[in-house]
Amino acid sequence: MSAHTYSAASGLQHEEPLLFEHAHEAATSISLPGIDADTTHLKDFERRNEAKIPGLSEPEAVRHFVRLSQWNHGIETGFYPLGSCTMKYNPRVNEQVVRLPGLAHAHPDQPQDSLQGLLALLHELQTWLGEISGLPHVTLQPAAGAHGELAGMMMIRAYHDARGDVKRRKVLVPDSAHGTNPASAVLAGLHTVEIKSAANGRIDLAALKANLDDETAALMLTNPNTTGMFESDIREICELVHQAGGLVYGDGANLNALVGIARPGDMGIDCLHINVHKTFSTPHGGGGPGAGPVAVNDLLAPFLPVPRIEKHEDNYQIVHTGEQSIGAVFGSIGQTGVLLRATAYIAAFGRNHLHKIAEDAVLNANYVLARLKEAYHVPFPGLCKHECLLTDAYQERHGVKTLDIAKRLIDLGMHPMTVYFPLIVHGAMLIEPTETEAKETLDSFCDAMLEIAAQCETGDTSELHDAPRRPIRRRMDETQAARSPVLVWPQD
Amino acid sequence: MRFLPHTEHDRKSMLDTIGMRDMRDLFADIPSEFHLPEGSLQLPDALCEADIVRKFTKAAERNRHAGNTRCFLGGGTYHHFVPAVVDYVISRGEFLTAYTPYQPEIAQGTLQTLFEFQTMVARLLNMEVANASMYDAATAVAEAALMSKRITRKSRTVIAASVNPRYREVTRNYLSQQQGETVEVSCNGFTTDISALIDAIDDQTACVIVQYPDFYGSLYDLSPLREACDANKCLMVVAFSDASAFGLIEPPGSFGADIVCGSGQALGIPMGFGGPHIGLFACRQKHVRQMPGRLCGMTQDSDDKRGFVLTLSTREQHIRREKATSNICSNQGLMCTANACYMTLMGDAGLKQIARRSAAALQQLISALPTHVLAAAGTHYNETVLSFADTNTRDGFLNTARERDIFAGIPLEHIERGSDANHLLVATTEMIGEQDVADYLAALEATR
Amino acid sequence: MSIPADLKYTQEHEWVRIEDDVATCGISDHAQEALGDIVFVELPEIGRVVAAGEAYAVVESVKAVSDVYASVAGEVIEINEALESEPEKVNTDPYGGGWIAKIKMSGDTVELLDEAAYTTFLEE
Repeated sequence: MSAHTYSAASGLQHEEPLLFEHAHEAATSISLPGIDADTTHLKDFERRNEAKIPGLSEPEAVRHFVRLSQWNHGIETGFYPLGSCTMKYNPRVNEQVVRLPGLAHAHPDQPQDSLQGLLALLHELQTWLGEISGLPHVTLQPAAGAHGELAGMMMIRAYHDARGDVKRRKVLVPDSAHGTNPASAVLAGLHTVEIKSAANGRIDLAALKANLDDETAALMLTNPNTTGMFESDIREICELVHQAGGLVYGDGANLNALVGIARPGDMGIDCLHINVHKTFSTPHGGGGPGAGPVAVNDLLAPFLPVPRIEKHEDNYQIVHTGEQSIGAVFGSIGQTGVLLRATAYIAAFGRNHLHKIAEDAVLNANYVLARLKEAYHVPFPGLCKHECLLTDAYQERHGVKTLDIAKRLIDLGMHPMTVYFPLIVHGAMLIEPTETEAKETLDSFCDAMLEIAAQCETGDTSELHDAPRRPIRRRMDETQAARSPVLVWPQD
Repeated sequence: MRFLPHTEHDRKSMLDTIGMRDMRDLFADIPSEFHLPEGSLQLPDALCEADIVRKFTKAAERNRHAGNTRCFLGGGTYHHFVPAVVDYVISRGEFLTAYTPYQPEIAQGTLQTLFEFQTMVARLLNMEVANASMYDAATAVAEAALMSKRITRKSRTVIAASVNPRYREVTRNYLSQQQGETVEVSCNGFTTDISALIDAIDDQTACVIVQYPDFYGSLYDLSPLREACDANKCLMVVAFSDASAFGLIEPPGSFGADIVCGSGQALGIPMGFGGPHIGLFACRQKHVRQMPGRLCGMTQDSDDKRGFVLTLSTREQHIRREKATSNICSNQGLMCTANACYMTLMGDAGLKQIARRSAAALQQLISALPTHVLAAAGTHYNETVLSFADTNTRDGFLNTARERDIFAGIPLEHIERGSDANHLLVATTEMIGEQDVADYLAALEATR
Repeated sequence: MSIPADLKYTQEHEWVRIEDDVATCGISDHAQEALGDIVFVELPEIGRVVAAGEAYAVVESVKAVSDVYASVAGEVIEINEALESEPEKVNTDPYGGGWIAKIKMSGDTVELLDEAAYTTFLEE
């Protein structure tokens, strides 16, 4: 098969102005319910000037946003192998069920006896996430992975403080970690110390030992790590941290490699956030919303945020207080609509199929690695987990960099992999195919990557440097955007 | 399994390519002591699609909701009308299933929508810039407090007790991780006590946080606060919980607020039992580099065509790591699209109508209250506090109303812990009609 | 790559020109090239007292941030306000129009390298 048979769509692409540039006066003709009475009592508080929100009629508004949507690439449009992001298929049935009126139109402060169905579904998710992670106590409150990290670090801090161990303020973070890790630790009033990775891309036990002391609050660990490899020394790592009096925080961004196969809680992790928008397939929505439930062991259970859902016999209750709780980190019980989609996803796999998620995800990453490992430099050879890491070392000799490869993939109809992350690997390309991609799709991607590598060898690399040529816009001037930021459309 | 495309033949041939015999070999790097026996997790067996629909339908039907009751509940979440087009647009796979727009060439749809969203939010609040969302109003207020500390390099935070207690709690919990004092200034009945707030500001104060309309729906003059802030070089942060207000009401930006933040749920997002909603966050241009969250900016491509990118990213965690302005990464992206689409459908005129109708319903209710119920003093937008003689009278009314398919209000002590148990927080929107108000009043009469 | 002989350099890739007790500071040609297009320079406040080796300014490109460390101890007496609107001067003229601050020296300095030593340092 040649690359040309799987290139991007070439149908009509419409230019579409900004809302503010539509020529005519606001044309809304929206018909509203309710009480159309005057509000003279508010006269002193009314706006003096209009906001200048440019209304469009319904047909125009639909066309505006549909045209804009067509400038996007989504997982429903094509392959999306973003490492560390787990872009898997988002089942449509999940979209259907969360829109049931009894779920979509429930108010958070309704009487609890009028919410039992909803509370039951959320409580079920709490229980299931505890079982899957091996950490039985779960909060659904955090709104995203990074928010879960913050909640986790606040709990860990509260745990040490409750023991009078108030000098534990140091958090060890491997240099391969996601940027959210150090940022979350700092937001929880802790400071971070970076641990250099070993030459094999894994935690350097000697460096870890050297930094553990009686001020260590925690180690933040992603396993499998961001180079796509499992930290096989995980038991020893956790034991070392525990012996020093610290706790181990697990960044669950890479849980897709383990789900149903092995449990972080069994390995010695004390606290883990779970990105349900990654592992449990809730849609990414162009940046969110996600949800980042946190699962903890018995040590940290007293510190979980409130409110929480508890089951007493057949009755579900929202519990608002907890003596040692860190309190609320979010304005409601959680991102319910996101959480319910995750419930539906887990229910679809169940006890008997859940492990197939990780199996096929890891199979796919290793298959891609096997097909590309001759043409691309593999910084850490061997078995990978759900994502594989390559670099541009061979292509750089021909003046082609990771960015060029990424942009060329766009012309070939695919979303690029994650580029230049992890930061510790020069020219990194992190590829995460996920379990919902067919072999045919993986082959197309590998063929495209091999074609690019071959193109580098020929010396004619203009097609790579000029890429992308096919989408509605080409490479953007990000320097100009940052030097003189224009963040809103100016008023007329 | 219907979401997994491989056949057993595919798996076999892929394993061959890798040089492995068995799927379990893929996990050889995980110590065997951690391997779970297949099927050993305590989970129910897989459900087919039809059974998932059945399971969720059954659960959903156990709940009451705003579709089969008259909803007078607010407290930060409001039952406004959501046009069908909004849900259609955010259900489009190109918006729904895209990632954060880090590859701008193939994410111009998300990016232009974000730019339009930022612009409309800034205009609605009369502020200079708005970001591409925070998780919710509570975390937005907390981030505003942290941002104020960075800008002023001062450590003290003053917050009015008339700010939604949930926003206050989250803010307190965030701030308690950092150095510095947080001072709460109590209310004057059910209204914001501006003079007490002004008295609480000193030269160590980084910001003063108020809500407008406040937690009790009350409107008041914000201008004296600006003067006091200027005198102490402290920032003025104004929160809000129902963004529909600013279709009609003068927004905080017009009073010189430095940061305005709150919930955008009212603008096209169903209540959904508390989420996903959206935190709106706007500030002045000069403070933009201290802002948390993502920002979309305008630029051009290599063919000089206008386009949009995420910009000023060096503020963010993936670049600045422990020195980032916030740890936020995933935000409420799709909800920005919902807000943008909703505002486009409404325009100035529609937004004003919604605000008018939301306020008119409350006014109609308050002006006809029986004498045994007292409404909070002052001018209110679409939310107020009703006070009863005692808990029994109130709860008797709540039960009667519920029998008549009315969720009549939130017992105030459910949100404001420790407050007397004879108050009811009551909110209205354009979804409340004349008959609903009449039925509410009749239920009050019936429990006199 | 330009390394003027009349300047001193640091291992953090700053340059300094010392005239009497005033040190004019900036980042080296090598540093600006490594960072790429500079989009923003966070300047120190005039009057700020800095220790040798202390971070006193920040330069940002689109995707990277770098602290600028004071090569000498002292008080910031002048800053290059032109960089607020034209940060690209750090790229186009790092040793001239791209200077960052002038520090009135109070004595201490970090280890300063001459042209030859800095060239050797870069080669290593």
